[in-house]
Amino acid sequence: MSSAISELQQEASHAHIHPPPQGFIAKYVISFDHKVIAVQYFITAGLFFVLAGLLAELLRAQLTQPHNTLLSAQTFDEAYSIHGTAMVWLVIIPVLTGGFGNLAMPLMIGARDVAFPWLNMFSFWLFPPAGILVFLSFLYGAPRAGWTEYPPVSMETTGTALWCAGVFLIGVSSTITGINFMVTIIKMRAPGMTWTRMPLFVWATLVTAFLSAIATANLSAALAGLFNQKVFGVPFYDPAHGGSAVLWQHVFWFYSHPAVYIMILPAFGIISEILPTFVRRPIFGYKAIAYSSVAIGLVSFMVWAHHMFTSGLAQWVQLPFMILTMAVAIPTGIKIFSWVATLWRGKIRLSTPLLFTLGFLACFTFGGVTGVMLASVPADIHEHATYFVVAHLHYVLFGGSVFGIFAGLYYWWPKMTGRLLDERLGKWHFWTMFLAFNATFLPMHWLGLLGMQRRVSYYDSQFHSSDLLSFVAGTNLFVSISAFVLGASMLIFAYNALRSAKAGKVAGPNPWGARTLEWMTSSPPPYYNFAEIPIVLSGPYDYGKPLPYANISQDLATEPVA
Amino acid sequence: MATHALQVSDAEYQEVRSHRLLGFLFFLISDSILFCSFIFSYLYDRSASPMWPPAGVERPGLYLAAVNSIVLFGSGVTMHLAMEAWRHANRTRFTQYIIATIVLGIGFLSGQAYEYTHLHDTWWGSVFGASFFTLTGMHGFHVFIGVCFLITVLLQARNGVYDQNRYFGLTAATLYWHFVDVIWVALFFLFYVY
Repeated sequence: MSSAISELQQEASHAHIHPPPQGFIAKYVISFDHKVIAVQYFITAGLFFVLAGLLAELLRAQLTQPHNTLLSAQTFDEAYSIHGTAMVWLVIIPVLTGGFGNLAMPLMIGARDVAFPWLNMFSFWLFPPAGILVFLSFLYGAPRAGWTEYPPVSMETTGTALWCAGVFLIGVSSTITGINFMVTIIKMRAPGMTWTRMPLFVWATLVTAFLSAIATANLSAALAGLFNQKVFGVPFYDPAHGGSAVLWQHVFWFYSHPAVYIMILPAFGIISEILPTFVRRPIFGYKAIAYSSVAIGLVSFMVWAHHMFTSGLAQWVQLPFMILTMAVAIPTGIKIFSWVATLWRGKIRLSTPLLFTLGFLACFTFGGVTGVMLASVPADIHEHATYFVVAHLHYVLFGGSVFGIFAGLYYWWPKMTGRLLDERLGKWHFWTMFLAFNATFLPMHWLGLLGMQRRVSYYDSQFHSSDLLSFVAGTNLFVSISAFVLGASMLIFAYNALRSAKAGKVAGPNPWGARTLEWMTSSPPPYYNFAEIPIVLSGPYDYGKPLPYANISQDLATEPVA
Repeated sequence: MATHALQVSDAEYQEVRSHRLLGFLFFLISDSILFCSFIFSYLYDRSASPMWPPAGVERPGLYLAAVNSIVLFGSGVTMHLAMEAWRHANRTRFTQYIIATIVLGIGFLSGQAYEYTHLHDTWWGSVFGASFFTLTGMHGFHVFIGVCFLITVLLQARNGVYDQNRYFGLTAATLYWHFVDVIWVALFFLFYVY
């Protein structure tokens, strides 16, 4: 054993410490430090989250009555299009990859930084202009075809060009980050950290990075085509000149279905870290969780056409897509069962990160089940254009991704800032958010099954029976009020976050008693992360055994239980 | 943050080199997906169309493209020879072959410019022309970037940025140039032969 350690020691001694940057700009603006870049992502995406959330509240305000005149039909279309675009590309993807990936991944693998710090900086600085372009499109007539921007409707608005440019930039940013993270994880793991000793969040980030690097180039191509058609009249998607509108759907979804997993795999990773920490047990089925992420990543390239069952695909094409889509439930189910089994007979501490994790498990599983329903072609054709789909995707992206994001924020906040968020406020935040979320999106399932169409600002003409109309209107009013409460619940988090800067308890290096490497250095970590590159001797989740690290300074290598 | 090759230890250089090489390979994969996506679009439109090229659109001339292909593949050979010359520490040969590669690259671009301006008036406004100009244009842009890349490498080699065992920029330029060659094989087959 000792000779193995000395060999690893030699490997670790290659890396040296660069001097920290001086001056405000080098430290906080044009920063090469992955931890600072992570905070930049969080702040920027947080601003877009507020804007996109306000758009959602506007939509719900319009739908409080069957024939409301608050928004014109056109403004309503613009609002839901930009709401979806911003939430997907300017909030969830940047937070989960650029935010959490940058914050935690290099620390978890015991590296000093990512492989290409300059590219990391560059990648971040593509993000604010991208968001500004997307929101600027409101000035010129924002796109009105939803976040998917199907032509020919997307060709009717001037803002489509700006929308394309903005999403293209964020796509390039995502590609660069993906390449950077893959090289970092493959090449820069601490000595002794074999593949099966990697924390599960790192596994999730690796698969996500692969998807970002491979699939996003395809989005760039699709967007370049759409941009050229809008600006130069090049008829890629125009049937009048031999193009095809369905072609856009193919190329768009060939990216955007993997993107769905870009939006959920890191959240899987986050809760795989939180669960063992708060139940003090080794994670159940480490390899099953790790390899099922890889399986999900691979299958994600073969299911895109399930978004297109209503666009006239041949039946023999629909069938394999339906079966493969349903097959995604298998690796995902393996994960869900592993997480639940981790909870079994654990010493559960119901701290805020675990509460959000449990909220994730409940909501995401529900969204997964309706996902299998929608994968079935006959059911999908019935429900495709209805609120059932809206409910499903919010259970997956809000109940899944956003709950995962908040779980991660509560979990890593002390590592990021050095101070803990207040637990009591955190619990208030969780319960208001959890209840309001379900009150908002659960009724949408039956609204959809009753035939309420999505993306429509009036629904009075659609329901002819007055009983039915009054039921639908009442349910919509309830949904809208819940949505306002859901929005308000975010204020609790904002207050908690701001308050923690002054009044938050000082966290110390390892407030949760976790065992992964990011907790084996001070909070917040120094510029160089680790004074010496740590050495890894076994996997990260063996609760009850001594810590598996060498080269960690002794006062940090503790495993206290808060 | 370009690390000047001569300022770091061998072990550190090898580590940085392996990161850059892997990152560059991922970039090439990602880049090839960009081409694949447009090629898929082209084949999709083509399979949906009753006749191809569509009515009123003439087929691109094979002759010029064939000459141009030979020019580009020739540049691939000279690029390979330049790399071999470098490995055998023959700097004069290296410089000659790199210059030959640059000249052939510019020759290819001139041929493409001639083709664009002289041949296919009927293509504007059809999806055939859209695919042709997008794919070959994107490829031409890659050749242009490659030429700039080679000029940079040549200047860097002359300024002593590389030494005999540390020449990642040169390796990357070679990989990129061969990559652009391989893409052309696919495009040539798709537009001129198939």
